[in-house]
Amino acid sequence: MQIFDAHTHVDESESLGWFDPPEKIIGLMDEAGIAQAVIMGYHDCPGAPVDAIAYVAAAVERYPDRLVALARLNPRFGATAEDLLVEAITRYGMKGLKLHPVSCGMHPANPMTVRLIRRAAQFGAPTLFHCGDEDYTLPFEIAGAAEACPEASIILGHMGGYYHVDDAIAVARRYSNIYLETSAMPYPERIKEAVEAIGAERVLFGSDGPGCNPWLELQKVRQAGLTVEQETLVCGENLRQLLAAVRHTGEAANDH
Amino acid sequence: MIIDAHVYLGQSLFGYRQDAETLLRRMDQHGIDRAFLCPVKPIGYDLAASNTAVAAAVREHPDRFLGLARVDPWLGEAALAELRRAVETLGLRGLMLHPWEEVIAVNSPLVDPLVAYAAEHALPVLVAGGHPRVSHASQIGDLAGRFPQATMIVTHAAQLNISGRALFDSTLLFTGHGNLLLETSGVYRQDFLMSMVNRIGAHRLVFGSGSPLYDQSFELARARNLPLTSEQMALIMGGSLAQRVSGL
Repeated sequence: MQIFDAHTHVDESESLGWFDPPEKIIGLMDEAGIAQAVIMGYHDCPGAPVDAIAYVAAAVERYPDRLVALARLNPRFGATAEDLLVEAITRYGMKGLKLHPVSCGMHPANPMTVRLIRRAAQFGAPTLFHCGDEDYTLPFEIAGAAEACPEASIILGHMGGYYHVDDAIAVARRYSNIYLETSAMPYPERIKEAVEAIGAERVLFGSDGPGCNPWLELQKVRQAGLTVEQETLVCGENLRQLLAAVRHTGEAANDH
Repeated sequence: MIIDAHVYLGQSLFGYRQDAETLLRRMDQHGIDRAFLCPVKPIGYDLAASNTAVAAAVREHPDRFLGLARVDPWLGEAALAELRRAVETLGLRGLMLHPWEEVIAVNSPLVDPLVAYAAEHALPVLVAGGHPRVSHASQIGDLAGRFPQATMIVTHAAQLNISGRALFDSTLLFTGHGNLLLETSGVYRQDFLMSMVNRIGAHRLVFGSGSPLYDQSFELARARNLPLTSEQMALIMGGSLAQRVSGL
């Protein structure tokens, strides 16, 4: 089983106190037996204290067999954010969009957010949302984006956090373009519940490493009591298929 | 010796349940020697009945369990009377405050007499931390500052927030109040726990699972996964509590 981690970070943030160069996540992936990981920054572009897109792109360039990236962007910047997204996908080979509605201060179903998600979907690229317990990150708020963009794959990172896992499973039942990602959510048994509710094909292992330990996060999935087939899908095959569909060239690049 | 600082006993109004036999089986399976039992809020809302049930479990397994008393601060003098009964008649050994399930801010004046009683009798106070509006880290800090002589165990490091926005407040709370112990269940980010070991010392962290709301096996793995010396790990697994709580 080639394990593929759907949610990790590579960035250096003085304001958050998180200094995570790529070597940190690579070391933890080695310890946990994780083959590949999706990386993203801690800040939203444009407006990040360092050029997080370039930082993440450089990390992928250094570890091309281990890392792929999502562009973390702020939809508030409209066309500028869209241009950054197109550049990230076509020039740097990034695989999708990361949105953190709290740090952006943007509702998931705000028309500007929806426009950016649709732009990613034109490349077949998914959008990973931070999905926890705060306003703007709740599953039923993100469901508005999933409904507005049925052509986009929407990943609920943390699958509802501490208190909104029921809601995350409910919206994933309702919208077939929603995936649930397991990172940091603290309940192993709820992964099994999600698999039984929506099928193993739409559940993705993620660690939120290096801050959350990838070995521990993987342990959580292994403790969930999935079949070998289900675990294979959740721990890598689903994500591999999802990202294989991303196009990095073509008409979508010029289509405004 | 491994001590789980935070488990629940009984059938909760809020749907979760754990009986003594199930808990002991889980503890044996995971090599946990002792546990602090928190009473649940039962169907019928009678916390006194839960205190009595916890005391009965402790009497049956005195080498495995230590019981905490739970009261509803909204009941005022009756809450203090029940705390007295639970400690002085039933033999319970600390106070549990669950601001979320009791729907009261942890720094409400109604809580003060209860914490004062605990401090006066050198009883630990376990606070269900990190719940928005009632046990935010800054609210726990207000209470802890008014009762610096009370030892408080704060569950979830007072930061039930998966975006990391609560980490700063949590850090302020524990660095600012030396009477607080940080309990590890459900805590977001292993690097946060390590940063707290470095800032406040392993002697102020305690393993707790929050079982059955949280998975005891996984929560034990969370604590054990920290890259610590064997001395530091021994403190987190029970040594810290033994230093602070008499009779352990």
